[in-house]
Amino acid sequence: MKIFCVIPAYNEAKSILKVVAKVKPLVDELIIVDDCSKDETYALAQSTGVIALHHIINRGQGAALGTGNAYALLHDADIIVHFDADDQFDANEIKDVVKPILDGEADIVFGSRFLEKESNMPWAKKNIIMPLARAINKIFFGINLTDPQSGFRAMRKEFAQDLIIENDGMAHCNEILIKAFQSQHRVKEVPITVHYHEFGQKFSGGFKIIKDLIYKQLIK
Amino acid sequence: MIQQLIAIIIIAFFISRVFQQKKKNEIGKNEFTFWLGFWTIAGLAIVFIKTIDKAVMFMGFSGSGINFLFYIAVMMLFYLIFKMRLRIVKLEKQITDVVREVALKK
Repeated sequence: MKIFCVIPAYNEAKSILKVVAKVKPLVDELIIVDDCSKDETYALAQSTGVIALHHIINRGQGAALGTGNAYALLHDADIIVHFDADDQFDANEIKDVVKPILDGEADIVFGSRFLEKESNMPWAKKNIIMPLARAINKIFFGINLTDPQSGFRAMRKEFAQDLIIENDGMAHCNEILIKAFQSQHRVKEVPITVHYHEFGQKFSGGFKIIKDLIYKQLIK
Repeated sequence: MIQQLIAIIIIAFFISRVFQQKKKNEIGKNEFTFWLGFWTIAGLAIVFIKTIDKAVMFMGFSGSGINFLFYIAVMMLFYLIFKMRLRIVKLEKQITDVVREVALKK
C-alpha cells in the first residue's frame, strides 16, 4: 500500500527541514503544501527533493490539506496521512496511526492526545478549551472521540475520495470528524504524543471555528 | 415639513448620482433601473408619509410611518448583508479552486 503524507505549511521555515527529515523515510511520498508563506518555507521544502506544492494566495490549512489530498489521489495513494509542519507531532507515530488501516480495522484513524500517552499540553487547553470542544462535538454532532481537534490523522483513499474539505480555515478539523462519523467508514482513535513549543489554537480561534461551522451549515 | 424637504433634497442628490453613473457607464441597465426605482419609492414614501402613517395604523402597528420605513430598511439591509455574505463565500471557494488548480499544475 502506498502511503502519502500531506503536510500543510505556513511560515514554517524554522521547522520544515527537521520535519521533512523525520517524516520522509517513513512514507512512500511526502507532499509539502506551502500556503503562500511569507518566509522561506517553500524554497526550503523544494530543496529537500520532496513534492512541494505552492498556493499562490494564502487559503488556510483546510485548503492546503485539500490540495495535498487531491495530489495524493491523482498519484495513486492508498493511505493519506495528515501531519503538521511545526514539529510538534512525533513522526515515529505515523506507523501507529496507519496500522489500523493496514490491519483492516479502520478506514480513518485520528490521533488522540488524550489516550494513554502523555503530552505537555498547556493547562488552559487541556482543562478548558478541549473539554468544551469535546462537549460541543458530542452534543451537536454526535462525535464521541477523546480528542476533538487532532490534526494527525490517516485515511484510506476511499474516504479521501468522498471527502471534500469545505472549510479552508481551521474548522476543517471538526469538518473531517463530522464527515467521518456521518459516513459509513470505520473510525478509530489511537494515542499520540504532542510536544508543545507554543500554545497553538487560542480560545478566540475556537470561536472562529464555531462561527465557520455555523456559516457552512447556514449556506448549504 | 422641513424634514421632508431635506429628505427629498438628499434623495434628489442620490437620483442625480444614479444618472451620472449611468452616463459614465459605471453601472449597467439593470442596476440603474433598480437604484432609480429604489430612490423613487423612497421619495414617494417621504411625500406621502401621512398616508403611510394611516396605513401603518390601519395595519395595527403602534409606531409612526417613518418608524415603519426604518424597520423595512433595516430588514432589507440584513437581507442584503446575508446575500453579500453568500456571494463572498462562493467567491472564496472559487479562489481556493483556482489556487489549487495552479498548485497542482506546476
